[in-house]
Amino acid sequence: MLRYTLKRIVGVIPTLIIVVTFVFFFVRMIPGDPARLVAGEQATLEDVESVREQLGLNQPIPVQYVKYVTGLVKGDLGMSLRTKRPVLTEVSARYGNTMALTVASLVWSTIVGVLLGVWSGKNRGKWQDFTGMTLAVSGISLPNFWIGFLLIMLFAVKLRWLPTTGAGSFKNLILPAITLGTSIAAIIARFTRSSIVEVLKEDYIRTARAKGLKEKTVTWGHAFRNSMISVVTVVGLQFGFLLGGSVVTEAVFAYPGLGQLLIESVNYRDYPAIQSLILIFSLQFIIINLVVDILYAILNPEIKLS
Amino acid sequence: MIGKKKAAHAELNEKTDIKTPVSEMIRKFKKQKNAVVALVFILFLVFLAFFGEALAPFKINEYDYSSILQGPSGAHWFGTDEFGRDLFSRIISGTKISLAVGLSAVSVGAICGTVLGLLGGYYRGIIDSIIMRICDTLFAFPGIILAIAIVAILGSGIGNVVIAVSVFSTPTFARLVRGRTLALKNSVFVQAAKNLGASDARILFRHILPGAIPEIIVQFTMSVGSSILTASSLSFLGMGAQPPTPEWGLLLANGRNYMMTSLHCTLFPGLAIFLTVLSFNILGDGLRDALDPKLTD
Repeated sequence: MLRYTLKRIVGVIPTLIIVVTFVFFFVRMIPGDPARLVAGEQATLEDVESVREQLGLNQPIPVQYVKYVTGLVKGDLGMSLRTKRPVLTEVSARYGNTMALTVASLVWSTIVGVLLGVWSGKNRGKWQDFTGMTLAVSGISLPNFWIGFLLIMLFAVKLRWLPTTGAGSFKNLILPAITLGTSIAAIIARFTRSSIVEVLKEDYIRTARAKGLKEKTVTWGHAFRNSMISVVTVVGLQFGFLLGGSVVTEAVFAYPGLGQLLIESVNYRDYPAIQSLILIFSLQFIIINLVVDILYAILNPEIKLS
Repeated sequence: MIGKKKAAHAELNEKTDIKTPVSEMIRKFKKQKNAVVALVFILFLVFLAFFGEALAPFKINEYDYSSILQGPSGAHWFGTDEFGRDLFSRIISGTKISLAVGLSAVSVGAICGTVLGLLGGYYRGIIDSIIMRICDTLFAFPGIILAIAIVAILGSGIGNVVIAVSVFSTPTFARLVRGRTLALKNSVFVQAAKNLGASDARILFRHILPGAIPEIIVQFTMSVGSSILTASSLSFLGMGAQPPTPEWGLLLANGRNYMMTSLHCTLFPGLAIFLTVLSFNILGDGLRDALDPKLTD
């Protein structure tokens, strides 16, 4: 197991290097002169040049690249052009908010998705299945900014139960979490259903029924437990998507997270911030995928590790 | 006699693990009532895309300051916006934007991905490694983040959104087609074609590609739905279509300013996006089930 884990971790390293390089060059293709942007509209040519020197932009690209990578290793993400503060400070101020939103969304969507999936799967072909899967296909088709607005209208404006925007308290988290989690709940439900349908065809289910176990025991004790191996994978992967997918939801609720920071940075062409944020989103994604892979290997006894 | 031959042919196909032909897929597809309804709705949307603007009761930029932000009525079915423009006409006219963006972006992604997948799966070696590395790198970004990054470089605009969505739908098709190519490469009929002296191009496009077509169609349909969502999200964020284009995501973003008083400004554009994406997803599900050999009728 340890060997497999190590092998997977080592296998990710080339991807990491490519991603870092890719992001570095990618962001340098953004049109516009960052030095001019920092110096301001009225700045003289000399001012712009001195800012360029300050930012290290007058150096050749390879030198910039080496500096960037050594900085990354030390945890230095550069300075934000917009706020003139270290990007790391900006990111860490908002990271918790995005994480809270993501975790809250994942928790409710996993519970609802799995229950809906099991309910549909064990009643395959009946009205329960039809209802469950209609809800699920609707869930993956809903634009989440639209759900967000409708929720705001209903719960914040009409009923006045919950705040429309902001972050920090549990109440602030409810509407964004519902918005962000809807499509994930639907994806998990669809996946759980097909997994349950597959498992229910297995011989050991027939055996369990033949020996007279209650249907409840068969569903939860046998079918559910065995289908969970693959469901765990899907839930894990969705976690990575959620961390990135929160951009739109954060925009709807003016939720101060990483997604909003990305939008602000793009609008300002704050390229050190854009660069770092894209990198953070993809690193999270890679790491989560790695963890899910390893988790799957641990959970699934059928995988022969050699 | 002919019927018997056909049955034998079908059986042979199953046994040698060749994908069910497209005709078989159509036959099974017709049994999926939901999917057929979804297809009809999509055809209706295509009709609107071509003739919607001509059929709409008002011009898309017809200002009427005497009737701003009015709720739905007999004259304005979906109400009016802050300039008194008829929302129904604007939404109908916006159909062609969303469909064009979704279809063109996914088509480009599908074509590029298919060619890359065929090449990688067939030739293996260094070409395959490079292609798969590129795919891994693109997969290392959550879709919307990659799209935002691309739009940040190219600038806002609907054309750049199409490019962004094509880029991130390419690796999905590349992996799918590569997998099929690997599976079909060693099949009897490909070996036979090779022995008969068929060129690589002929083998790839005449023998291997048809075996991957049904799966490509399913993926294509599913991707169109999600691409329309992504494109409208980008427009919503101000990175896609620019005013006064009647793009649905943009209409919705605009409507948020009047949300408190005029809910119809956000309600109807969202409903349009939802129904369109929903019909593509239901169609995709139906096609997938029609393709699945495990679901016998």
